[in-house]
Amino acid sequence: MQTVSIDAKPDGVLDVVLRGEIDFTNAAHIVEAVREAIAERCPRAVRVDLAEVTFLDSSGLGVLIRAMKAAAAADASFRVERPTDKVFDQLEMTGLLVPFGIIEAGG
Amino acid sequence: MHTDPGYEHRLSELDARIGRARLEPAVVGERAAGLLAGRIGCRVDEAHHHLRELAAEQGRPVHEVAADVLVTLETRTVTPPARLRTAADAVTGRRRPSAAPALPEGEPGWVAIVQQVLDALPGRRMLVAPRRDPDGVIVDYEFAAVSPTVVDLSGRRREQLLGRRVSEVYPSIVDGPVWAAWRDALADGQPREVGPVPYVSSDGDTPTGVTVTVQVQPLGPALLNSWVRHDEQTRLTERMAHTERLGNLGWGEWDLVSDTTVWSDELYRIYERDPADGPMPREESEALVLPDDEPVRRQAAVAFGRGETADVVYRISVNGKIKHLRAVVDAVRDAHGRPLKIYGILQDVTARESSRAQLAQVQRQLREHQESLAIEHRLAAQLQQIVLPIPDAPIDLPGIRVAVRYLPAEQASRVGGDWYHAAVARDGSVVLAVGDVAGHGVHAAATMAQLRHTLTALTVTITTDPAQLLSNLNELLYAGDAAAGTATGVVLRYDPATRRLCWAQAGHYAPLHTRAGVTAELARPYGPLLGALSGARYETAGMTLEPGDVVMLYTDGLVEHRSHTVAEGLAPVVARLNRFSAATHPPSLTDLLAELHTANPDDDTCILAARCHA
Repeated sequence: MQTVSIDAKPDGVLDVVLRGEIDFTNAAHIVEAVREAIAERCPRAVRVDLAEVTFLDSSGLGVLIRAMKAAAAADASFRVERPTDKVFDQLEMTGLLVPFGIIEAGG
Repeated sequence: MHTDPGYEHRLSELDARIGRARLEPAVVGERAAGLLAGRIGCRVDEAHHHLRELAAEQGRPVHEVAADVLVTLETRTVTPPARLRTAADAVTGRRRPSAAPALPEGEPGWVAIVQQVLDALPGRRMLVAPRRDPDGVIVDYEFAAVSPTVVDLSGRRREQLLGRRVSEVYPSIVDGPVWAAWRDALADGQPREVGPVPYVSSDGDTPTGVTVTVQVQPLGPALLNSWVRHDEQTRLTERMAHTERLGNLGWGEWDLVSDTTVWSDELYRIYERDPADGPMPREESEALVLPDDEPVRRQAAVAFGRGETADVVYRISVNGKIKHLRAVVDAVRDAHGRPLKIYGILQDVTARESSRAQLAQVQRQLREHQESLAIEHRLAAQLQQIVLPIPDAPIDLPGIRVAVRYLPAEQASRVGGDWYHAAVARDGSVVLAVGDVAGHGVHAAATMAQLRHTLTALTVTITTDPAQLLSNLNELLYAGDAAAGTATGVVLRYDPATRRLCWAQAGHYAPLHTRAGVTAELARPYGPLLGALSGARYETAGMTLEPGDVVMLYTDGLVEHRSHTVAEGLAPVVARLNRFSAATHPPSLTDLLAELHTANPDDDTCILAARCHA
């Protein structure tokens, strides 16, 4: 199973699905793929699904941050969806729940 | 000629065995009389009478005479003149010299001995015994003994031949030249050579081009046959040449007695020499050896001198090409170990050596790659060492003592970007920090250096407020190029005058606090990791320390592991701190840190512990 699959929807949403362990071994490859897709499709929104991600290390977290920066550079909104409990804790820990649109600001 | 007693003994044993194999005298007498009567046309009782008279004349037992008559009649049945002659001889009591010992036919014991002899001898032979009709006329032959190595062109082996009739197995042999030779050899007891004759297979088909010469040797009442395939010599030579070509093998021979040298065809090919020129003189071939390999060749010569088989690989230069040769050299020696004949097998192993050289090349590149990894690791480690010298002893700062421990990642390439800071700021407060740069290697070490120096500069010039400090570091990282990535960190400010502690964190673990056997994670004010968001804000939290309180900062390597939760990773650390702070006389901070183990050997870990002065 691929760690990343990217699907450009007709409504201008770029769906990025990550799977398995996202760490320093595959981070660079995933970032490259996401950046290319954003540059090519110019989506209005980027959506990253983490339901099947079992582990994120700091490089894996870096993937999400770089994807967010790339989306911002292309004027696209950015949203991370369906983190597992463990990943949710990590995002909470790193203060990224709000920036990733998982919880509302002030929530 | 001296006769070996063992040989004599074996001979006499054989004799005894043959003796035991004789038929009962009465049976012999009956058969001899019957045979004699049939041959010379008299009645059986007349024949008996005649035998008795013959025995009386010769002063021998009747059964012995009968046996003689039997053997003579049975083995001389083929041609009418021979039969007449033998019959007359038998009657007159004259014994003709015969190659055949007086043995009855079809005797299993005797045949068994022949079979044993064939088993022991090299080569391929068959013993065929005549089958006779009641009148003693040969009607067929039977395979009585066969060498174990015999395989005929139809793939038949000994087991498929023994006991079977020749006419069944090789029908087309009947009345052919071999058949006639058998008959004649039995008649006169003389060996014969037949051929070349076409090879005869069981179904009568003659494989094209295969002819044989058969040697027929009378042996007892039977016939020992050996044969040479005429294509055999050719086939052997071809096979040898094929083997030589396939294996790039050549052989050479040097007869020291006659001083002649012989080279095989392939050896000429290896040395690229015209066979018409004859073998290359030894001095010339030795001169082709590359000077670098001369010691190898000389060493082999010494081994050879000791009587060992030399087996070496060296290089020669032939027509500008380098060839790798494996040489195995051995000798035929006399009783004193002096070589009489030296023979060598040479194999051109250039192809193998070339691929070995390529393999070595790849290994070298691999090693270089590993070395470059090792260099990067060393560089990262050095960088970290320069940026982040880990003090061996605790650092005494105003109102607080600090110990630091750094546990590097076990895997060399994964030296990370963990860092710490412990120093007095210009305003007299103590600033403590621990941070962790995402990623590993030189990049992480460089980012770590940047963060640490910036923090030091900021505490000296601008602010000691933890939230302010983190905010500045965040902007620094966010503005930097993408490779700088992200980092987490926790910053504390301690005022020794008031024992007031305040802290902020950026995506990092909150400090641990322990007092009187109770350890807790301090509050974690909001703060996103560094470098992710522009303009991120950081909150602070605070508390007042009591004398003896210990605060511990750490990076994720201490508690995080893929296979368990953070809580599970934290539990042993908390337990250790509980024991530490509960002790009446707590050990040193250094000892405390020494007892902590990293949860994740893949990650480096930095731990900082600070104890408030009493």
